[in-house]
Amino acid sequence: MNLTDALLNALQSGLGGLASYLAAHVLLCLLPAFFIAGALAALLPKEAITRYLGREAPKWISYPASALGGFLLAVCSCTIMPLFASIYKKGAGIGPAVTFLFVGPAVNILAISFTGVQIGMDIALARIVLSLVFGILIGLLMAWIFRKDDAEHAKAAAESQVFAAKATIPARTVVFFLLLLGTLIAGTLQIGLLRDVFFSVKIPGGWALSLQSRLDKLVPPNPALGIEGISVHGLLLIGMLVLIALAAIKGFKDIFKGFTGWTILTLGLIALTLVIASFAVSLTGSGLVLGINGRFVAEILFMAAIWWMGATAFNSEERQEWLWETWRFVKQIIPLLLVGVFAASIARTLIPAAWIQSIAGRNTLWANLAGVLFGVFMYFPTLVEVPVAQTFLSLGMHRGPLLAYLLADPELSLQSILITNSVIGKKKTAVYVSFVTVFSTLSGLIFGWFISS
Amino acid sequence: MEIKILGGGCPKCERLEALAREVAGELGIDARFTKVKEMSKIMAYDVMTTPALVVDEKVMSSGRIPAQEEVRAWLAEANK
Repeated sequence: MNLTDALLNALQSGLGGLASYLAAHVLLCLLPAFFIAGALAALLPKEAITRYLGREAPKWISYPASALGGFLLAVCSCTIMPLFASIYKKGAGIGPAVTFLFVGPAVNILAISFTGVQIGMDIALARIVLSLVFGILIGLLMAWIFRKDDAEHAKAAAESQVFAAKATIPARTVVFFLLLLGTLIAGTLQIGLLRDVFFSVKIPGGWALSLQSRLDKLVPPNPALGIEGISVHGLLLIGMLVLIALAAIKGFKDIFKGFTGWTILTLGLIALTLVIASFAVSLTGSGLVLGINGRFVAEILFMAAIWWMGATAFNSEERQEWLWETWRFVKQIIPLLLVGVFAASIARTLIPAAWIQSIAGRNTLWANLAGVLFGVFMYFPTLVEVPVAQTFLSLGMHRGPLLAYLLADPELSLQSILITNSVIGKKKTAVYVSFVTVFSTLSGLIFGWFISS
Repeated sequence: MEIKILGGGCPKCERLEALAREVAGELGIDARFTKVKEMSKIMAYDVMTTPALVVDEKVMSSGRIPAQEEVRAWLAEANK
Protein backbone atom coordinates (compact mmCIF):
# COMPACT_ATOMS: atom_id res chain seq x y z
CA MET A 1 0.00 0.00 0.00
CA ASN A 2 1.50 3.35 -0.96
CA LEU A 3 1.18 6.58 0.97
CA THR A 4 -1.80 8.00 -0.94
CA ASP A 5 -3.79 4.84 -0.37
CA ALA A 6 -2.92 4.86 3.30
CA LEU A 7 -4.01 8.50 3.66
CA LEU A 8 -7.23 7.86 1.77
CA ASN A 9 -7.90 4.82 3.89
CA ALA A 10 -7.34 6.77 7.11
CA LEU A 11 -9.56 9.61 5.91
CA GLN A 12 -12.35 7.24 4.96
CA SER A 13 -12.10 5.58 8.32
CA GLY A 14 -12.34 8.96 10.05
CA LEU A 15 -15.38 9.95 7.99
CA GLY A 16 -16.98 6.56 8.57
CA GLY A 17 -16.52 6.94 12.30
CA LEU A 18 -18.01 10.44 12.25
CA ALA A 19 -20.95 9.33 10.16
CA SER A 20 -21.84 6.42 12.38
CA TYR A 21 -21.65 8.69 15.42
CA LEU A 22 -24.05 11.14 13.88
CA ALA A 23 -26.40 8.37 12.81
CA ALA A 24 -29.60 7.34 14.50
CA HIS A 25 -28.67 5.53 17.67
CA VAL A 26 -26.22 8.15 18.92
CA LEU A 27 -28.57 11.02 18.12
CA LEU A 28 -31.38 9.43 20.10
CA CYS A 29 -29.05 9.23 23.06
CA LEU A 30 -27.04 12.44 22.91
CA LEU A 31 -29.74 14.97 21.97
CA PRO A 32 -31.98 14.14 24.96
CA ALA A 33 -28.94 13.77 27.23
CA PHE A 34 -27.85 17.34 26.48
CA PHE A 35 -31.32 18.65 27.31
CA ILE A 36 -31.33 16.66 30.57
CA ALA A 37 -27.90 18.00 31.52
CA GLY A 38 -29.13 21.53 30.75
CA ALA A 39 -32.23 21.00 32.88
CA LEU A 40 -30.17 19.66 35.80
CA ALA A 41 -27.92 22.71 35.67
CA ALA A 42 -30.76 25.21 35.30
CA LEU A 43 -33.82 23.89 37.10
CA LEU A 44 -32.55 21.88 40.06
CA PRO A 45 -32.25 23.94 43.26
CA LYS A 46 -28.76 23.08 44.56
CA GLU A 47 -29.80 23.67 48.16
CA ALA A 48 -32.13 20.66 47.95
CA ILE A 49 -29.01 18.49 48.08
CA THR A 50 -26.40 20.68 49.75
CA ARG A 51 -28.58 20.90 52.88
CA TYR A 52 -27.52 17.32 53.58
CA LEU A 53 -23.81 18.09 53.23
CA GLY A 54 -23.30 20.29 56.28
CA ARG A 55 -20.97 19.55 59.18
CA GLU A 56 -23.72 18.24 61.45
CA ALA A 57 -25.17 15.77 58.94
CA PRO A 58 -24.64 12.16 60.06
CA LYS A 59 -22.32 9.98 57.95
CA TRP A 60 -25.03 7.71 56.61
CA ILE A 61 -26.72 10.76 55.10
CA SER A 62 -23.76 12.90 54.02
CA TYR A 63 -21.94 10.18 52.01
CA PRO A 64 -24.91 9.02 49.91
CA ALA A 65 -25.96 12.67 49.51
CA SER A 66 -22.47 13.52 48.22
CA ALA A 67 -22.66 10.68 45.73
CA LEU A 68 -26.11 11.81 44.60
CA GLY A 69 -24.84 15.39 44.42
CA GLY A 70 -21.98 14.22 42.22
CA PHE A 71 -24.52 12.73 39.85
CA LEU A 72 -27.05 15.59 39.85
CA LEU A 73 -25.04 18.77 40.46
CA ALA A 74 -21.68 18.09 38.89
CA VAL A 75 -22.82 18.34 35.29
CA CYS A 76 -20.85 21.56 34.98
CA SER A 77 -17.18 21.97 35.85
CA CYS A 78 -17.97 25.43 37.23
CA THR A 79 -19.99 23.82 40.02
CA ILE A 80 -17.63 20.96 40.81
CA MET A 81 -14.66 22.86 42.24
CA PRO A 82 -16.52 25.46 44.39
CA LEU A 83 -18.80 22.76 45.80
CA PHE A 84 -15.87 20.44 46.44
CA ALA A 85 -13.97 23.19 48.26
CA SER A 86 -17.08 24.15 50.27
CA ILE A 87 -17.88 20.63 51.40
CA TYR A 88 -14.23 20.14 52.36
CA LYS A 89 -13.70 23.40 54.23
CA LYS A 90 -17.11 24.35 55.55
CA GLY A 91 -19.32 21.31 55.28
CA ALA A 92 -19.19 17.61 55.93
CA GLY A 93 -15.39 17.40 55.55
CA ILE A 94 -12.81 15.63 53.45
CA GLY A 95 -14.66 12.30 53.17
CA PRO A 96 -17.93 13.44 51.56
CA ALA A 97 -15.97 16.05 49.54
CA VAL A 98 -13.85 13.30 47.99
CA THR A 99 -16.94 11.17 47.33
CA PHE A 100 -18.49 14.12 45.51
CA LEU A 101 -15.32 14.73 43.50
CA PHE A 102 -15.00 11.09 42.54
CA VAL A 103 -18.59 10.44 41.51
CA GLY A 104 -19.15 13.69 39.58
CA PRO A 105 -17.08 13.19 36.44
CA ALA A 106 -17.70 9.45 36.17
CA VAL A 107 -21.46 9.24 36.62
CA ASN A 108 -23.00 12.17 34.80
CA ILE A 109 -25.99 11.66 32.55
CA LEU A 110 -24.10 12.43 29.34
CA ALA A 111 -21.22 10.04 30.01
CA ILE A 112 -23.42 7.17 31.16
CA SER A 113 -25.97 7.25 28.36
CA PHE A 114 -23.25 7.69 25.75
CA THR A 115 -21.24 4.78 27.17
CA GLY A 116 -24.35 2.60 27.25
CA VAL A 117 -25.20 3.20 23.61
CA GLN A 118 -21.69 3.05 22.17
CA ILE A 119 -19.92 0.43 24.28
CA GLY A 120 -22.70 -1.52 25.95
CA MET A 121 -25.10 -1.43 28.87
CA ASP A 122 -22.89 -3.79 30.92
CA ILE A 123 -20.04 -1.26 31.00
CA ALA A 124 -22.41 1.67 31.64
CA LEU A 125 -24.02 -0.11 34.61
CA ALA A 126 -20.63 -1.16 35.96
CA ARG A 127 -19.49 2.45 35.64
CA ILE A 128 -22.43 3.65 37.76
CA VAL A 129 -22.34 0.96 40.44
CA LEU A 130 -18.56 0.80 40.89
CA SER A 131 -18.20 4.61 40.91
CA LEU A 132 -20.82 4.96 43.63
CA VAL A 133 -19.40 2.14 45.77
CA PHE A 134 -15.76 3.16 45.39
CA GLY A 135 -16.57 6.86 45.66
CA ILE A 136 -18.05 6.30 49.11
CA LEU A 137 -15.31 3.84 50.08
CA ILE A 138 -12.49 6.20 49.07
CA GLY A 139 -14.26 9.04 50.92
CA LEU A 140 -14.50 6.98 54.12
CA LEU A 141 -10.84 5.94 53.87
CA MET A 142 -9.69 9.54 53.30
CA ALA A 143 -11.77 10.73 56.27
CA TRP A 144 -10.25 8.04 58.49
CA ILE A 145 -6.64 8.71 57.41
CA PHE A 146 -6.94 12.48 57.81
CA ARG A 147 -9.25 12.50 60.83
CA LYS A 148 -6.95 14.84 62.77
CA ASP A 149 -6.88 17.56 60.11
CA ASP A 150 -10.61 17.24 59.71
CA ALA A 151 -11.24 18.12 63.33
CA GLU A 152 -9.59 21.50 62.74
CA HIS A 153 -11.88 22.23 59.83
CA ALA A 154 -14.83 21.56 62.10
CA LYS A 155 -14.14 24.87 63.84
CA ALA A 156 -14.29 26.86 60.60
CA ALA A 157 -17.39 24.96 59.57
CA ALA A 158 -19.21 25.64 62.81
CA GLU A 159 -19.37 29.36 62.07
CA SER A 160 -20.47 28.99 58.49
CA GLN A 161 -24.09 29.24 57.43
CA VAL A 162 -23.37 28.10 53.90
CA PHE A 163 -25.10 24.76 54.20
CA ALA A 164 -28.03 26.02 56.24
CA ALA A 165 -30.13 27.06 53.26
CA LYS A 166 -32.91 24.61 52.54
CA ALA A 167 -34.90 23.90 49.43
CA THR A 168 -36.99 21.10 48.01
CA ILE A 169 -37.27 20.01 44.42
CA PRO A 170 -40.71 21.05 43.11
CA ALA A 171 -42.95 18.25 41.81
CA ARG A 172 -43.20 19.83 38.35
CA THR A 173 -39.39 19.68 38.01
CA VAL A 174 -39.38 16.00 38.94
CA VAL A 175 -42.09 15.21 36.37
CA PHE A 176 -40.22 17.23 33.74
CA PHE A 177 -37.00 15.27 34.41
CA LEU A 178 -38.90 11.98 34.15
CA LEU A 179 -40.34 13.01 30.77
CA LEU A 180 -36.89 14.00 29.48
CA LEU A 181 -35.48 10.74 30.78
CA GLY A 182 -38.36 8.93 29.05
CA THR A 183 -37.29 10.39 25.70
CA LEU A 184 -33.75 9.15 26.30
CA ILE A 185 -34.84 5.67 27.36
CA ALA A 186 -37.47 5.26 24.62
CA GLY A 187 -34.84 6.24 22.08
CA THR A 188 -32.11 3.88 23.21
CA LEU A 189 -33.62 0.83 24.90
CA GLN A 190 -33.32 -2.22 22.66
CA ILE A 191 -36.51 -4.16 23.35
CA GLY A 192 -39.07 -5.70 20.99
CA LEU A 193 -41.90 -3.41 22.06
CA LEU A 194 -39.93 -0.41 20.80
CA ARG A 195 -38.16 -1.99 17.84
CA ASP A 196 -40.85 -4.11 16.19
CA VAL A 197 -42.31 -2.52 13.09
CA PHE A 198 -46.10 -2.67 13.03
CA PHE A 199 -46.78 -0.51 10.03
CA SER A 200 -44.64 0.40 7.08
CA VAL A 201 -44.67 3.09 4.43
CA LYS A 202 -42.95 2.69 1.05
CA ILE A 203 -41.25 5.53 -0.74
CA PRO A 204 -40.83 4.26 -4.30
CA GLY A 205 -37.90 5.02 -6.58
CA GLY A 206 -34.59 3.51 -7.61
CA TRP A 207 -32.72 6.65 -6.47
CA ALA A 208 -32.31 5.30 -2.96
CA LEU A 209 -30.32 2.29 -4.08
CA SER A 210 -28.01 4.27 -6.36
CA LEU A 211 -27.49 6.89 -3.66
CA GLN A 212 -26.60 4.14 -1.21
CA SER A 213 -24.06 2.60 -3.57
CA ARG A 214 -22.45 6.02 -3.99
CA LEU A 215 -22.29 6.49 -0.23
CA ASP A 216 -20.73 3.04 0.11
CA LYS A 217 -18.04 4.06 -2.33
CA LEU A 218 -17.33 7.26 -0.39
CA VAL A 219 -17.16 5.53 2.99
CA PRO A 220 -16.85 1.77 2.57
CA PRO A 221 -18.39 -0.12 5.51
CA ASN A 222 -15.90 -2.40 7.21
CA PRO A 223 -17.53 -4.69 9.77
CA ALA A 224 -14.14 -6.14 10.77
CA LEU A 225 -13.06 -2.72 12.05
CA GLY A 226 -16.52 -1.79 13.28
CA ILE A 227 -17.02 0.91 10.63
CA GLU A 228 -20.67 1.14 9.71
CA GLY A 229 -20.59 3.36 6.63
CA ILE A 230 -23.31 5.92 5.86
CA SER A 231 -26.90 4.93 5.11
CA VAL A 232 -29.45 7.07 3.26
CA HIS A 233 -31.19 7.45 6.62
CA GLY A 234 -27.93 8.58 8.20
CA LEU A 235 -27.33 11.10 5.42
CA LEU A 236 -30.77 12.63 6.01
CA LEU A 237 -30.03 12.90 9.75
CA ILE A 238 -26.65 14.52 9.15
CA GLY A 239 -28.44 17.04 6.92
CA MET A 240 -30.93 17.72 9.72
CA LEU A 241 -28.08 18.26 12.18
CA VAL A 242 -26.52 20.85 9.90
CA LEU A 243 -29.88 22.64 9.71
CA ILE A 244 -30.22 22.51 13.51
CA ALA A 245 -26.73 23.92 13.94
CA LEU A 246 -27.49 26.82 11.58
CA ALA A 247 -30.84 27.59 13.23
CA ALA A 248 -29.41 27.24 16.74
CA ILE A 249 -26.77 29.88 16.13
CA LYS A 250 -29.58 32.40 15.64
CA GLY A 251 -32.10 30.80 17.99
CA PHE A 252 -30.04 29.95 21.08
CA LYS A 253 -27.24 32.48 21.19
CA ASP A 254 -29.19 35.31 22.77
CA ILE A 255 -31.75 33.07 24.39
CA PHE A 256 -31.68 34.94 27.70
CA LYS A 257 -33.05 38.02 25.95
CA GLY A 258 -36.18 36.06 25.04
CA PHE A 259 -37.61 33.48 22.67
CA THR A 260 -37.64 34.30 18.98
CA GLY A 261 -39.04 32.56 15.90
CA TRP A 262 -35.56 31.08 15.41
CA THR A 263 -35.71 29.47 18.86
CA ILE A 264 -39.02 27.79 18.05
CA LEU A 265 -37.66 26.73 14.65
CA THR A 266 -34.57 25.16 16.25
CA LEU A 267 -36.62 23.27 18.83
CA GLY A 268 -39.01 22.10 16.10
CA LEU A 269 -36.09 20.86 13.98
CA ILE A 270 -34.62 18.99 16.95
CA ALA A 271 -37.96 17.29 17.64
CA LEU A 272 -38.33 16.40 13.96
CA THR A 273 -34.81 14.96 13.89
CA LEU A 274 -35.55 12.71 16.86
CA VAL A 275 -38.74 11.53 15.16
CA ILE A 276 -36.86 10.79 11.92
CA ALA A 277 -34.12 9.00 13.85
CA SER A 278 -36.62 6.81 15.66
CA PHE A 279 -38.21 4.94 12.76
CA ALA A 280 -36.59 1.95 11.09
CA VAL A 281 -35.47 2.41 7.48
CA SER A 282 -34.68 -0.44 5.14
CA LEU A 283 -33.63 -0.40 1.53
CA THR A 284 -35.21 -2.47 -1.23
CA GLY A 285 -34.76 -2.50 -4.98
CA SER A 286 -37.94 -0.49 -5.49
CA GLY A 287 -37.28 2.20 -2.89
CA LEU A 288 -37.12 3.02 0.80
CA VAL A 289 -39.30 1.35 3.39
CA LEU A 290 -40.06 3.39 6.51
CA GLY A 291 -40.99 1.17 9.42
CA ILE A 292 -43.22 2.76 12.04
CA ASN A 293 -42.35 1.18 15.39
CA GLY A 294 -43.02 1.61 19.09
CA ARG A 295 -39.99 3.90 19.40
CA PHE A 296 -41.51 6.32 16.89
CA VAL A 297 -44.79 6.50 18.81
CA ALA A 298 -43.08 6.79 22.22
CA GLU A 299 -40.77 9.59 21.08
CA ILE A 300 -43.68 11.61 19.70
CA LEU A 301 -45.71 11.17 22.88
CA PHE A 302 -42.82 12.08 25.19
CA MET A 303 -41.83 15.12 23.16
CA ALA A 304 -45.40 16.38 22.95
CA ALA A 305 -45.63 16.10 26.74
CA ILE A 306 -42.29 17.91 27.21
CA TRP A 307 -43.34 20.68 24.84
CA TRP A 308 -46.64 21.13 26.65
CA MET A 309 -45.06 21.08 30.11
CA GLY A 310 -42.21 23.35 29.09
CA ALA A 311 -44.73 25.86 27.77
CA THR A 312 -47.15 25.78 30.69
CA ALA A 313 -45.42 24.68 33.91
CA PHE A 314 -42.32 26.89 33.73
CA ASN A 315 -41.92 30.63 33.40
CA SER A 316 -39.99 32.21 30.58
CA GLU A 317 -36.88 32.77 32.71
CA GLU A 318 -36.70 29.09 33.61
CA ARG A 319 -37.19 28.08 29.98
CA GLN A 320 -34.44 30.46 28.84
CA GLU A 321 -32.07 29.27 31.55
CA TRP A 322 -32.70 25.64 30.57
CA LEU A 323 -32.05 26.20 26.87
CA TRP A 324 -29.06 28.42 27.58
CA GLU A 325 -27.42 25.73 29.74
CA THR A 326 -28.21 23.07 27.13
CA TRP A 327 -26.70 25.17 24.35
CA ARG A 328 -23.65 25.85 26.49
CA PHE A 329 -23.05 22.12 26.95
CA VAL A 330 -23.48 21.53 23.23
CA LYS A 331 -21.05 24.31 22.30
CA GLN A 332 -18.53 23.15 24.86
CA ILE A 333 -18.65 19.43 24.10
CA ILE A 334 -19.78 18.76 20.52
CA PRO A 335 -16.87 20.36 18.58
CA LEU A 336 -14.30 18.52 20.70
CA LEU A 337 -16.33 15.33 20.43
CA LEU A 338 -16.45 15.51 16.63
CA VAL A 339 -12.70 16.06 16.41
CA GLY A 340 -12.15 13.28 18.96
CA VAL A 341 -14.31 10.81 17.08
CA PHE A 342 -12.59 11.62 13.79
CA ALA A 343 -9.13 11.20 15.32
CA ALA A 344 -10.07 8.02 17.21
CA SER A 345 -11.45 6.49 14.00
CA ILE A 346 -8.26 7.30 12.12
CA ALA A 347 -6.18 5.86 14.97
CA ARG A 348 -8.12 2.64 14.55
CA THR A 349 -6.52 2.05 11.16
CA LEU A 350 -3.04 3.13 12.29
CA ILE A 351 -2.59 1.24 15.57
CA PRO A 352 -1.82 -2.45 15.01
CA ALA A 353 -4.38 -4.60 16.82
CA ALA A 354 -1.54 -6.85 18.00
CA TRP A 355 -0.19 -4.05 20.23
CA ILE A 356 -3.46 -3.52 22.04
CA GLN A 357 -4.04 -7.25 22.35
CA SER A 358 -0.62 -7.91 23.81
CA ILE A 359 -0.97 -5.11 26.36
CA ALA A 360 -4.64 -5.36 27.31
CA GLY A 361 -6.14 -8.28 25.41
CA ARG A 362 -6.59 -10.33 28.55
CA ASN A 363 -7.96 -9.44 31.97
CA THR A 364 -4.78 -9.30 34.06
CA LEU A 365 -3.60 -6.97 36.81
CA TRP A 366 -1.06 -5.37 34.49
CA ALA A 367 -3.58 -4.94 31.69
CA ASN A 368 -5.93 -3.11 34.07
CA LEU A 369 -3.12 -0.96 35.42
CA ALA A 370 -2.11 -0.11 31.85
CA GLY A 371 -5.70 0.98 31.19
CA VAL A 372 -5.65 3.26 34.24
CA LEU A 373 -2.24 4.78 33.44
CA PHE A 374 -3.31 5.51 29.88
CA GLY A 375 -6.30 7.35 31.35
CA VAL A 376 -4.05 9.44 33.60
CA PHE A 377 -1.55 10.56 31.02
CA MET A 378 -3.88 11.05 28.06
CA TYR A 379 -6.26 13.88 28.74
CA PHE A 380 -9.38 13.62 26.60
CA PRO A 381 -12.13 16.23 26.84
CA THR A 382 -15.47 15.16 28.35
CA LEU A 383 -17.12 12.28 26.45
CA VAL A 384 -14.22 11.78 24.04
CA GLU A 385 -13.08 8.92 26.29
CA VAL A 386 -16.03 6.95 24.88
CA PRO A 387 -15.01 6.86 21.18
CA VAL A 388 -11.42 6.26 22.30
CA ALA A 389 -12.63 3.28 24.34
CA GLN A 390 -14.63 2.03 21.37
CA THR A 391 -11.51 2.14 19.22
CA PHE A 392 -9.66 0.08 21.83
CA LEU A 393 -12.56 -2.36 21.99
CA SER A 394 -12.57 -2.91 18.23
CA LEU A 395 -8.82 -3.47 18.34
CA GLY A 396 -9.26 -6.29 20.82
CA MET A 397 -9.02 -4.77 24.30
CA HIS A 398 -10.65 -6.87 27.01
CA ARG A 399 -13.74 -5.30 28.63
CA GLY A 400 -12.14 -5.42 32.11
CA PRO A 401 -9.16 -3.13 31.34
CA LEU A 402 -11.55 -1.09 29.20
CA LEU A 403 -13.68 -0.35 32.25
CA ALA A 404 -10.56 0.44 34.29
CA TYR A 405 -9.60 2.99 31.63
CA LEU A 406 -13.13 4.46 31.48
CA LEU A 407 -13.20 4.91 35.26
CA ALA A 408 -9.75 6.48 35.51
CA ASP A 409 -9.81 8.77 32.50
CA PRO A 410 -12.34 11.35 33.72
CA GLU A 411 -11.12 11.11 37.35
CA LEU A 412 -7.42 11.41 36.97
CA SER A 413 -6.25 13.73 34.26
CA LEU A 414 -3.13 15.72 35.11
CA GLN A 415 -5.28 18.85 34.98
CA SER A 416 -7.80 17.66 37.56
CA ILE A 417 -5.00 16.45 39.82
CA LEU A 418 -3.50 19.95 39.80
CA ILE A 419 -6.83 21.59 40.65
CA THR A 420 -7.52 19.11 43.45
CA ASN A 421 -4.02 19.81 44.76
CA SER A 422 -4.80 23.52 45.04
CA VAL A 423 -7.77 22.80 47.31
CA ILE A 424 -6.67 19.96 49.59
CA GLY A 425 -2.86 20.11 49.35
CA LYS A 426 -0.13 17.78 48.13
CA LYS A 427 -0.33 15.05 50.73
CA LYS A 428 -4.07 14.45 50.52
CA THR A 429 -4.01 14.66 46.72
CA ALA A 430 -1.28 12.02 46.56
CA VAL A 431 -3.29 9.68 48.78
CA TYR A 432 -6.44 10.34 46.77
CA VAL A 433 -4.72 9.67 43.45
CA SER A 434 -3.23 6.41 44.73
CA PHE A 435 -6.62 5.26 45.96
CA VAL A 436 -8.28 6.04 42.63
CA THR A 437 -5.51 4.19 40.76
CA VAL A 438 -5.78 1.12 42.97
CA PHE A 439 -9.58 1.03 42.99
CA SER A 440 -9.97 1.63 39.25
CA THR A 441 -7.52 -1.21 38.57
CA LEU A 442 -9.42 -3.48 40.96
CA SER A 443 -12.77 -2.50 39.43
CA GLY A 444 -11.59 -3.49 35.96
CA LEU A 445 -10.17 -6.74 37.26
CA ILE A 446 -13.34 -7.67 39.16
CA PHE A 447 -15.60 -6.69 36.27
CA GLY A 448 -13.37 -8.65 33.85
CA TRP A 449 -13.67 -11.78 35.98
CA PHE A 450 -17.37 -11.26 36.38
CA ILE A 451 -18.14 -11.14 32.64
CA SER A 452 -15.65 -13.87 31.71
CA SER A 453 -17.08 -16.39 34.12
CA MET B 1 -19.00 51.34 44.47
CA GLU B 2 -17.10 48.09 44.30
CA ILE B 3 -18.60 45.18 42.41
CA LYS B 4 -16.97 41.76 42.53
CA ILE B 5 -17.77 38.76 40.39
CA LEU B 6 -16.77 35.51 42.11
CA GLY B 7 -16.12 32.56 39.85
CA GLY B 8 -13.47 30.68 37.95
CA GLY B 9 -14.12 32.28 34.58
CA CYS B 10 -16.97 30.06 33.38
CA PRO B 11 -19.46 31.39 30.78
CA LYS B 12 -21.98 32.09 33.54
CA CYS B 13 -19.54 34.41 35.29
CA GLU B 14 -19.04 36.37 32.10
CA ARG B 15 -22.78 36.69 31.62
CA LEU B 16 -23.18 37.93 35.19
CA GLU B 17 -20.44 40.50 34.72
CA ALA B 18 -21.97 41.73 31.46
CA LEU B 19 -25.33 42.07 33.19
CA ALA B 20 -23.91 43.98 36.16
CA ARG B 21 -21.94 46.31 33.89
CA GLU B 22 -25.01 46.97 31.78
CA VAL B 23 -27.16 47.85 34.79
CA ALA B 24 -24.43 49.98 36.35
CA GLY B 25 -24.14 51.84 33.05
CA GLU B 26 -27.91 52.40 32.89
CA LEU B 27 -28.01 53.79 36.40
CA GLY B 28 -24.96 55.94 35.76
CA ILE B 29 -23.07 54.38 38.66
CA ASP B 30 -19.31 54.69 38.72
CA ALA B 31 -18.45 51.15 39.76
CA ARG B 32 -15.14 49.36 40.01
CA PHE B 33 -15.34 45.76 38.73
CA THR B 34 -13.11 43.01 40.07
CA LYS B 35 -13.08 39.34 39.09
CA VAL B 36 -12.20 36.99 41.92
CA LYS B 37 -10.99 33.68 40.58
CA GLU B 38 -8.93 32.08 43.39
CA MET B 39 -10.92 29.44 45.22
CA SER B 40 -9.57 30.45 48.66
CA LYS B 41 -10.72 34.05 48.22
CA ILE B 42 -14.11 32.92 46.95
CA MET B 43 -14.50 30.67 49.98
CA ALA B 44 -13.93 33.66 52.26
CA TYR B 45 -17.30 35.04 51.12
CA ASP B 46 -19.15 31.97 52.38
CA VAL B 47 -20.56 30.99 49.01
CA MET B 48 -20.45 27.48 47.62
CA THR B 49 -21.76 28.01 44.15
CA THR B 50 -20.50 30.39 41.53
CA PRO B 51 -21.00 32.80 39.93
CA ALA B 52 -21.64 35.11 42.86
CA LEU B 53 -22.26 38.85 42.80
CA VAL B 54 -20.70 40.90 45.60
CA VAL B 55 -21.59 44.58 45.98
CA ASP B 56 -19.46 46.53 48.47
CA GLU B 57 -18.35 43.26 50.15
CA LYS B 58 -21.91 42.01 50.55
CA VAL B 59 -22.95 38.80 48.74
CA MET B 60 -26.10 39.55 46.76
CA SER B 61 -26.55 36.28 44.85
CA SER B 62 -24.74 33.04 44.24
CA GLY B 63 -25.05 30.03 41.96
CA ARG B 64 -27.36 31.75 39.53
CA ILE B 65 -27.76 34.67 37.19
CA PRO B 66 -30.15 37.09 38.90
CA ALA B 67 -32.84 38.85 36.89
CA GLN B 68 -31.99 42.29 35.58
CA GLU B 69 -34.59 43.94 37.85
CA GLU B 70 -32.99 42.34 40.90
CA VAL B 71 -29.55 43.64 39.99
CA ARG B 72 -31.00 47.07 39.31
CA ALA B 73 -32.64 47.15 42.76
CA TRP B 74 -29.42 46.06 44.52
CA LEU B 75 -27.22 48.56 42.75
CA ALA B 76 -29.71 51.42 43.23
CA GLU B 77 -29.95 50.57 46.95
CA ALA B 78 -26.17 50.41 47.38
CA ASN B 79 -25.76 53.71 45.53
CA LYS B 80 -27.91 55.72 47.95
